[in-house]
Amino acid sequence: RYVRQLQRLQLLFSPTAADARGARQFVEEAAQDFARQHPDVVLYVSPHAGPGPAPVLRAEYLNGTVRDELIASKTSEEIVQLATKLANQSGLDIIRIRKPFHTDNPSIQGQWHPLTNKPSVLTVQGPRLQPE
Amino acid sequence: GANRKEERAVEADGAVPEKERSEPSLIQPPPRSRSYVPPEDLLSCLESHVREVFGPSVPEDWQQAPLQDKRLKHRLLARLAAELGHAVPNSQLHCMRRAGDVLGFYRTPVRDGSKIDELAAAKLPSNLKIIWQQ
Repeated sequence: RYVRQLQRLQLLFSPTAADARGARQFVEEAAQDFARQHPDVVLYVSPHAGPGPAPVLRAEYLNGTVRDELIASKTSEEIVQLATKLANQSGLDIIRIRKPFHTDNPSIQGQWHPLTNKPSVLTVQGPRLQPE
Repeated sequence: GANRKEERAVEADGAVPEKERSEPSLIQPPPRSRSYVPPEDLLSCLESHVREVFGPSVPEDWQQAPLQDKRLKHRLLARLAAELGHAVPNSQLHCMRRAGDVLGFYRTPVRDGSKIDELAAAKLPSNLKIIWQQ
């Protein structure tokens, strides 16, 4: 069963700042739809009155990683896309994965790809939907 | 800007308090709340005012009475503002060309309080929390 790795999303913005306009529109229009589509993520909307830091979307994952994304001067649609991207990620750090093995001949008979052992007409036709 | 909005939001939660000056104090009086709810008898009230101001020259359908004459327009709008406690703002004066426009303006209720307050009061899905003190 799939367990979503994103635990909570915190939307920190100011109700008066000019660069938080996208965040405010997101809260008014799209936040409820987002919350309904992702029922296993908790969305906290915390506006702080007065001038403060830049508007930020903070994502906390089940392994403890906290990721801050700046949403200053972003439109509501961009914030929705960003939030969906964060919801589909796991909390692992996004760096280059290094492995302790290396080989000069990774494949002897040829690397497998989805069209090996299939009739070659598929390279011309392409994939087809199976009729139900 | 921000301070005024806070005070207005605080005051709008309770009723508008009466100004009692038992002793002279330098405390700033609470700002007027901008909220307006159209009364039940709006139509009849407006009609009576229009007939009063215009006198005999009201056409059949009183809503079509033109407000071209500046004096009549001012008289009508001033009386309505005094009675209902809600005035037409300067930016909307050019839209008020007939009595019907004035009726439409006075029919719309005005709520003060930001969108976030409304959202916090509305019914939200269970995984959306709004943390807003005011």
